[in-house]
Amino acid sequence: MVIDFSPFFGPSSPFDRLFETLWTPLPISQRPYAYPPLNIAEDDERIIARCEIPGMEISDLELTLAESSLVIKGERKGAKGKYYRQERPTGFFQRVVNIHAPVDRDKVKATMKDGLLEVVIPKSESAKPKKIAIDIS
Amino acid sequence: MSDQVKTEEKTLPRVKPATDIVESDEGFFIYMDMPGVAKENLVIDLNEDEIKVTGRTSYPMPDGEKLIHAEFANGEYYRGFTLSHVVDKSHIKATLKNGVLELHLPKAEKTTPRKIDIQMG
Repeated sequence: MVIDFSPFFGPSSPFDRLFETLWTPLPISQRPYAYPPLNIAEDDERIIARCEIPGMEISDLELTLAESSLVIKGERKGAKGKYYRQERPTGFFQRVVNIHAPVDRDKVKATMKDGLLEVVIPKSESAKPKKIAIDIS
Repeated sequence: MSDQVKTEEKTLPRVKPATDIVESDEGFFIYMDMPGVAKENLVIDLNEDEIKVTGRTSYPMPDGEKLIHAEFANGEYYRGFTLSHVVDKSHIKATLKNGVLELHLPKAEKTTPRKIDIQMG
């Protein structure tokens, strides 16, 4: 569903991973970490992709809606100085969301708040569930 | 009602936010990734040499929405640090912007080395 081209490495040793699964029983996917973390939700009207990208302006992100996928691209830059500890990832990142539904590409909206990117993709009329009245004669 | 809130608090997973500690000419900078935390939900406690940062995310889950794929959820960020004596504790500044908390810890003015006069008795 989501292809990961992330340049970042997650917790690498098997022990790290074991502890991660022990301490955080999150109701989230068990696949190895990709950056940035992405949630995809859907209702009758639209598809919503949410992404945790702290420390970035929406103008620094490159959002592309291709034929059947949404691409989120960007680069995180680090501060200058002498590092005592570095845990926050830096560098280029990219995530691809495949969309298998006809969407209304002109009405796609993206917002950023407190480091959370929200991309709302409305489904086109033909993809919405419709009620059909059946006349019984 | 309060019981309900309490159980909800308990179920939130605690996460250590990813942190950078950088030293530059202006002092020390601590950057913490806390996406989804609004200013109202962030608490910074300074007690003697300990600084504690707690923040909670509040992602809404609108009705009728179905989660297809999830990699993050609501949680509580928590991290504590011990400050060195070099830090000027009265001038610590905190800024929260785009989900990143920046703590600026300026260095205290260096006590300039001085010569001690010796008085002859």
